[in-house]
Amino acid sequence: MVELVPTLLRQELARLAEDDQRLDGRSQWEGREVSLEVDCLYNAEGSAKVVMGKTIVYAGVKFELRTPWPDRPTQGSLMCGAELRPVAHRKYEPGPPSPQSIELGRVVDRGIRESGCIDMESLCIVPGEKVWGVMIDIHVLSDGGNIFDACGLAAIAALRTAIVPAERFDVGEDYKLKVNGTPIMSSFTRVGGRYIYDPSEEEELGGDERIHITLGDEGHLHSLQKGLRGVFTPAEFAEIFDVAHQRCADLRTLVANQEGN
Amino acid sequence: MGGYGDVQLLRDDGLRLDGRKLDEMRPVSIEAGILPAADGSAMVTHGLNVAVAAVYGPMEAHPRKIQRQDRAVIDVRYNMAPFSTGDRIRPGYNRRSREISKVTAEALESVVLVERYPRSKIRVEIEILAAEAGTRCAGITAAAVALADAGIPMRDLIVGVASGKVEDTVVLDLDKAEDNYGQADLPVGILPNTGEIAFLQMDGDLSPDEYNLAMEYNFKAAAEIHEIMVDALKRRYEGGEN
Repeated sequence: MVELVPTLLRQELARLAEDDQRLDGRSQWEGREVSLEVDCLYNAEGSAKVVMGKTIVYAGVKFELRTPWPDRPTQGSLMCGAELRPVAHRKYEPGPPSPQSIELGRVVDRGIRESGCIDMESLCIVPGEKVWGVMIDIHVLSDGGNIFDACGLAAIAALRTAIVPAERFDVGEDYKLKVNGTPIMSSFTRVGGRYIYDPSEEEELGGDERIHITLGDEGHLHSLQKGLRGVFTPAEFAEIFDVAHQRCADLRTLVANQEGN
Repeated sequence: MGGYGDVQLLRDDGLRLDGRKLDEMRPVSIEAGILPAADGSAMVTHGLNVAVAAVYGPMEAHPRKIQRQDRAVIDVRYNMAPFSTGDRIRPGYNRRSREISKVTAEALESVVLVERYPRSKIRVEIEILAAEAGTRCAGITAAAVALADAGIPMRDLIVGVASGKVEDTVVLDLDKAEDNYGQADLPVGILPNTGEIAFLQMDGDLSPDEYNLAMEYNFKAAAEIHEIMVDALKRRYEGGEN
């Protein structure tokens, strides 16, 4: 589908930015209300649903037994993929995975993987023969903007509540997957010349480049991604990096609270 | 159907393994208008099945070769999420989902007033989030509510229901064990007001009498589900809950 560049929308967003305002009344670094539900899918070993404004995302965790890679005989594996199916928006078309959905899945994957929250050695059952493969599948049902953060949040929440189905595979008793940490993503889009946190659908349509930052529990960086056409300065990055710290901490608390329930 | 004979599916008291009577369906709940990005949407929970449908359009039909001069085409995609089943499903189309998409599209084209929208396309996306036997029926029910939610004119709603046979006994609405080890499955799409049938599949072994009883059960269940569908649409548009 051809997306028209909405000149009027861009003009309106630029005008609002001059007065430090946003289309939906939020302030520059204010996120939409986030609702998180865990353990909500019957057949998944771990699951989560995230609602942020008009964005709705599900993530489900499945396990499989596999033989380890020859060069890593004592390590299991983790894979995270995202699907941007046509259900999520009229702009998405059927067909093989689009570059956008591959980027989305890989950015989420890197944030979780590189945070080291899953100890790959702990997924080993018999060295050289049998290890767990953990698969996180993210399903976007409604794209109302900033699906990156919604997907990142759903993925880590699903992973943190996952039960390893050892009984079903005849390799012992079921147990809770050990996850050491809660990597969280924060996304920023340039709208009307300045960055804002948690872009809505309209802000993405009328905005420019975006930056995704995934931070671990200690505030360390685990994945960065700049997408779309545009450039930024180190000073701009320093500013959104500070915001990301606070937003990630808030969302980490949200995940912890949901797990407690 | 899977193998049968070695698994007990009816209890000694004549009830089914999950305690249902022979002509009792699993609990069904429906919510309309759940996806903000879609023109119409619905979520159907049927037993442990969860089906979500989104409708986009009517819109320009492209590529042009799919256009019909006298009517709209309905483009259905039935898809099971990778985490919807016991073993993960590899993402993407397979033969089963293609066939279900095709016959579901044809069933929906039988109830939507497609002649009102020549040369256009109506997209219906059915996503199965959790599967426990009967997903195509839950998908049809969800699609019908989503089409109505999108304001697309239809002759009637369409309700997806199935009956089958286990241990030589006709039962309504097979669950996972009954589907795996039963002897027959008869999923249909029923127009509840006209009493017509727009979707029909069957596999297994049914005598003519068993077929008649299974269909009787299906019509009874369709009437029940129809009420739940209407209720979901009323809640959405009469300013009740939601």
